[in-house]
Amino acid sequence: MDATAFITFARRNPTIVAGSIILLFMTVVALAAPLIAGDPRLMNPVNRLKPPSAQFWFGTDGLGRDIFSRCVYGARISLIVGVSVASASVLIGLAIGLAAGYLRWLDNYVMRVMDGLMAIPAILLAIAMVSLNRATVGIVIIAIVIPEIPRVVRLVRSVVLTTREQPYIEAAISGGSRSLKIVLRHILPSTIPPLIVQATYVTASAILIEAGLSFLGAGVPPETPTWGNMIASSRLLLARAPWTIFFPGLCLALVVLAVNLLGDGLRDRLDPRLSRRM
Amino acid sequence: MTKIARRTVLKSTAAAAAIAGAPSLARAQARPSAARTIRAVFHGDVPTYDPIWTTANMAAYHGGMVYDTLFGIDEKGEAKPQMVGKYGYDAGNMTWSFELRPGLKWHDGTDVTSGDIVASLKRWAARDGGGQHMMQRVKGIESKDEKTFTISLKERYGLVLDVLSKTSTPVCFMMRKKEAETDPMQKIETVVGSGPFTLNMAETRPGTQYVYDRNPNYVPRAEAPNGISGGKVVKVDRVVFVNMPDGQTAVAALQAGEIDFYEIPQPDFMPQLEADRNIKIQILNQLGQVGLIRPNFLHPPFNNVKVRQAMLHCVKQSDHMKATFGDSKYAKETPSYFAMGTPMENDANTGWFKGGQNFARSKALLAEAGYKGEEVLLMQATNIPYMSNSAQLLAQELRQGGFNVRVEAMDWSNVVQRRSVKNPPAQGGWNIFITSAGGTAVGHPILLAAHAATGGSAWFGWPEDAKHEQLRAQWSVGETLADRQRIAREIQENAWNFVPQVYYGQWVQPAAMRTNIRGVLPVAEIIPWWNVEKV
Amino acid sequence: MLAYIVRRLFLTLPVMALVAVFVFLLLHLSPGDPAAIMAGENATAENIAQIRTKLGLDEPLWKQFALWVLALASGDLGQSLFWGDPVTTLIGQRAEPTISLALTTISFAVIVAITLGVTAAANPGTWIDRGVMGFAVMGFSLPVFVVGYMLIFLFAIELKWLPVQGYTRFAEGFVPWLRNLVLPSLALGMAYVALIARITRTTMLEVLSEDYIRTGKAKGVANRPLLLRHALKNAAVPIVTVVGIGVALLIGGVVITETVFNIPGIGRLVVDAISRRDYPIVQGVIMLFAGLYVLVNLLVDLSYTLFDPRIRY
Repeated sequence: MDATAFITFARRNPTIVAGSIILLFMTVVALAAPLIAGDPRLMNPVNRLKPPSAQFWFGTDGLGRDIFSRCVYGARISLIVGVSVASASVLIGLAIGLAAGYLRWLDNYVMRVMDGLMAIPAILLAIAMVSLNRATVGIVIIAIVIPEIPRVVRLVRSVVLTTREQPYIEAAISGGSRSLKIVLRHILPSTIPPLIVQATYVTASAILIEAGLSFLGAGVPPETPTWGNMIASSRLLLARAPWTIFFPGLCLALVVLAVNLLGDGLRDRLDPRLSRRM
Repeated sequence: MTKIARRTVLKSTAAAAAIAGAPSLARAQARPSAARTIRAVFHGDVPTYDPIWTTANMAAYHGGMVYDTLFGIDEKGEAKPQMVGKYGYDAGNMTWSFELRPGLKWHDGTDVTSGDIVASLKRWAARDGGGQHMMQRVKGIESKDEKTFTISLKERYGLVLDVLSKTSTPVCFMMRKKEAETDPMQKIETVVGSGPFTLNMAETRPGTQYVYDRNPNYVPRAEAPNGISGGKVVKVDRVVFVNMPDGQTAVAALQAGEIDFYEIPQPDFMPQLEADRNIKIQILNQLGQVGLIRPNFLHPPFNNVKVRQAMLHCVKQSDHMKATFGDSKYAKETPSYFAMGTPMENDANTGWFKGGQNFARSKALLAEAGYKGEEVLLMQATNIPYMSNSAQLLAQELRQGGFNVRVEAMDWSNVVQRRSVKNPPAQGGWNIFITSAGGTAVGHPILLAAHAATGGSAWFGWPEDAKHEQLRAQWSVGETLADRQRIAREIQENAWNFVPQVYYGQWVQPAAMRTNIRGVLPVAEIIPWWNVEKV
Repeated sequence: MLAYIVRRLFLTLPVMALVAVFVFLLLHLSPGDPAAIMAGENATAENIAQIRTKLGLDEPLWKQFALWVLALASGDLGQSLFWGDPVTTLIGQRAEPTISLALTTISFAVIVAITLGVTAAANPGTWIDRGVMGFAVMGFSLPVFVVGYMLIFLFAIELKWLPVQGYTRFAEGFVPWLRNLVLPSLALGMAYVALIARITRTTMLEVLSEDYIRTGKAKGVANRPLLLRHALKNAAVPIVTVVGIGVALLIGGVVITETVFNIPGIGRLVVDAISRRDYPIVQGVIMLFAGLYVLVNLLVDLSYTLFDPRIRY
């Protein structure tokens, strides 16, 4: 793509471009963390609660840790949580949704289980799973993935149900194609655009849920910096040392905003029908 | 259903009906005015109404309202009679005899009798460490007549009054015989005491607020209040324990005048509170809390005494205190095995402390011990800020001192379950956990369960040391303060060699209250609400 | 229609049964010990073991489950391990604040969001539209506790207009009740304003572009407010659907909001219960929320017939 083409694209899709630039920037920061930031875990109580300065760009927190380093490393965890929750829930949801949508005998059972999962408030399920087990990034991801799955399953299933009635599928069936082949070749592709859009929203909500879990003391272990647990562990310092909350809050809001912008843009582009519905 | 239970139920239904349906005038009459009501926020929630059932301090706060004690300590820590009138010790028969003072009545209106007391003592002693220690030396507790009872001893024992008057939980609270005859392992169901307040079940909402009304029939002693001894004169109509877990919210509520008292403002709020003309700061418990690091004696590497000693050289208490309390006048270091400020405080065998943090020394000790970098599993309670802070800092210090540490984050409930597992760390066990204990108890060789070094039957961490146990036994029969202080030095000399636990500091918690609250008595481990005025 | 309702209610039974099994296993197969919490810091291992036995936590799991389900079938959610009060009583005591918060938040969100959405749809492509949409994306992107603390800091501490925390019973007067709910509803409502404003705008635009509206315009129904009202009625179905989804999200948000503003509601009851493993409370509240969710969705489906006569069950 040359420069003019890019400018045209950016004019037509400002939200996609803005969202992608922010996310790309954050990804680079996350990957290059060891090069640009110091040790995010290094505690030095003598330096606690120092305001932003040349030495500590974003100030220090209650344990005397460098907030800039923690924000930079926090990008890693937040992005990992966001991306892995999105990909895991989409992949698992896709598989279940395709199976349920295509195999009629399975549909009823699967959907009842999904209804059951949806009926449990997501945050309560996540709090219970994390605080009942050990707090690790893995458990947090699983705890956020489980309640997201039924939403993906429903989306996929609805796409499958409408696609299945299309004449070209009926033609393929009468032409003697095997079920699996039909699903993979004809049905799967039509689920991709809405799923990509869904995945961006799941990413944003996963990052926010992780922050909420940390706020309630059921998030990623405090030694590992995430924007959510940084805000949570400094929440008593709002008036005394606002920078301890401001910078991670800014990073968090920026990334969630970028993901949402990207999602809106993709939705308008990939699925005009969905854009009108949602 | 008993008479009182039925009455409570009737009362509560009536009150509930009044609240739900009656016009606001009727309610205004039933409920004391704001000027005569104190709303207080403490460090936690009342865990159960049975005060001898748990060692959680909130149970003692609740108990101190509703129940009375035979003896109470004054500010100097000396036992003074409270429910007891005349008492004496017959050295020949090794028998204590006590007579109840006149005017004592239960909340149901009946008289307090020695039969109630004997049953209460027995139930409490079944649950309390100090009580068990005493009962091992007691021949019998008997009721002589309506008002008199005796405690006869098998051997010389100097701690009877200390144990009866202590404020460390479970406190020796007196209940009616009916409740006191409940299996000690079963919680009591009705809350009937003889204390200066009654629990208002109709307006109490478990988990959010506990309402205590002035007991109009309480007859206080004539002496001036001192510690928890002396006359318990109630000067307000109602005290409400509000459960408010968020510290930020509680401080804001205090500044806005929505609550009158907040027990545990975080040190970082102190400048803000000190600057507020409507708020005053008061230290109620001068001995405060001591931070404990418990190594597990059952498994490598801490089954090796040199490895435990290495830990002493890694921990810098002032850093731990700064991490949670900032540059605060409220926190200090405690080289003494018995908490600073207690009568048993001393400086025996504190070379490790005077030498300061010394990672080279730690590494040398680890090498001597033959430590090969085995993983040390440190349990971190993430939902309790000071424990979470100290666990992270401890991990960093131990790593610098040559240990291979893995921090396992979990909530406090998981810690308290897992710490009772005796298996090796790889099979669900652990190597280190962090907690804290009241300074009064840490300063007392017997009262603190963690001070026992009886191996498998000791407190979590299961330290074992025969000499330590021998010295503790000697201490408990020491007759003068000087005797006990001498033995305490010996205990400490030995303890800092075998290292049953390491401390990360000692801190006092200043309480914050509205300036119109007067007369809060400085007592360790209980907050009395008698004598308190709202002006 | 009645047959439809009965069939739907019948279908909720397997769903609730699944929730029950799942929640019970999740709680009981996980580590954590209510007995140890109850016993306190200075307790010995023997004390804790005795308490466990008394609480019946040593019984085989299938037996505990059977007892719980049998009681559940008769509407008994069991008793709190800590206070001994029936869970239904505890939930009853905590219901009013949570219901109040949910109602004020939903009303606030619906009123503000529909106003914003309609305004944006009436002026598509203008700066008003962009402003509203920008706000909608922002509303999605801020964690509810950050918004909550900002509001407390500004309106309660600095300006002193509103109380910091707490809850006043409705019976004690409408104004005190509302004063305590303004800030929490604002904090909690932000995300729903964003969500509902968005859906209102898009569905309104869709409806406005449909033929009959254009016809109406051509026929001279040029009155803009009337036109918008007409379009709004037709856009109601997707809006109601989103409000229904919102209720499910709200249940989650309530947990955090009640903590920030110290509202003694069901959300805090369950969070506290999780941290000390008061199993009957956690199980009871999750069953209740699940039941509520199922009910709200049924109501949402039924409300479609109200807004769109073409839909029949």
